[in-house]
Amino acid sequence: MAVHEDSNAHKKKSSDALDEIPTFNVDNMQNNTRIINYSRTFMSIIGGVIAGILGFTGLMGFIFYFLVMAITTAGLAAKTGFAVHSYFDSWNRIVLDGILGGLLSFVLFWTFAYDIVHIF
Amino acid sequence: MAEDLVLDTAIRDWVLIPLSVVMVLIGVLRYFVSKLIRSDQIPDIKIVKEGQVIIRARYLRAAANFIPAKSFRVRRHYYSNEENGLLHVPKGQAQNPQAQMFSDPNMAMDMMKKNLSMIIPQTLTFAWVNFFFSGFVAAKIPFPLTQRFRAMLQNGIDLSTVDVSYVSSRSWYFLNLFGLRGLFSLILGEDNATDDAQRMMQMGGFGFDPTRSLGAEKDGLDIVQHDWALPKFEQRAAAVLKKLVS
Repeated sequence: MAVHEDSNAHKKKSSDALDEIPTFNVDNMQNNTRIINYSRTFMSIIGGVIAGILGFTGLMGFIFYFLVMAITTAGLAAKTGFAVHSYFDSWNRIVLDGILGGLLSFVLFWTFAYDIVHIF
Repeated sequence: MAEDLVLDTAIRDWVLIPLSVVMVLIGVLRYFVSKLIRSDQIPDIKIVKEGQVIIRARYLRAAANFIPAKSFRVRRHYYSNEENGLLHVPKGQAQNPQAQMFSDPNMAMDMMKKNLSMIIPQTLTFAWVNFFFSGFVAAKIPFPLTQRFRAMLQNGIDLSTVDVSYVSSRSWYFLNLFGLRGLFSLILGEDNATDDAQRMMQMGGFGFDPTRSLGAEKDGLDIVQHDWALPKFEQRAAAVLKKLVS
């Protein structure tokens, strides 16, 4: 996934040296959040196409979606070297952010691929 | 009732793909047109001044813990004291800027232009879809839905025994409308005007009313509890320097 890693290459540290009170550099935080959104959108689109081609229907498809999201989360966590707190302000960002938005794109591309491959 | 309808390949070639392609292209077009149309509006200097004061007060609030308590209090007093504090607005002037804003023709025109550029392509595309692509099954959604969705999703199809998963092209249009937002954010970058849902949420908060935000900022500043974040800073600085030197 060259694009996936490429976009992550620009993550920056956002907490500064004073570790006692967490302070954040807003620009870097926004950049990191944007990277998370891009990664998730991209992965949901790819996941939708894969789900459609493989012919998942119903619940299986949604489980696949959450599986893809979990893989994305794991990838993001690994990219930060598991030191999530120096790049984001909480675990919630890296785990939950952007999942619902990606769901719609996933469903669109899933329907598209499924129809093209299986119905027509 | 899971019989598999076999649908004509022509539907795929001439309905699904063109509709998606058209929606993507219209989105891109709308983005560029909104960039071109954006007129240069010379802002009122009073509004700009107040905006800048609010930004300064916000910075003070955000970084309050990094300056000593006394400095913070002095600054806060500068902003919110009763006689000539910057954020304190005498009651008489409260409503004026807002009234001015609404009667200002430039601002109204700008708002209308933005609204129109949002609504017209959507309306046109919807009308086009309805006119050309109604009355047949367009796609099958891969997950089952209850019967209640039938009225919404199967608009042009008059058979009531067809499985709810087989939807008309109108629902394909709506699916595209929501699903392509993610795609637009990827290909157009962050600042794209195609994010309708976000735009509609912003519309609710319209009415940049400077006096109200001044008051809100003042209250926010009053609330801040100063928590000195760097109490042992000299010792830490000394420790770091010692490490560097030794």
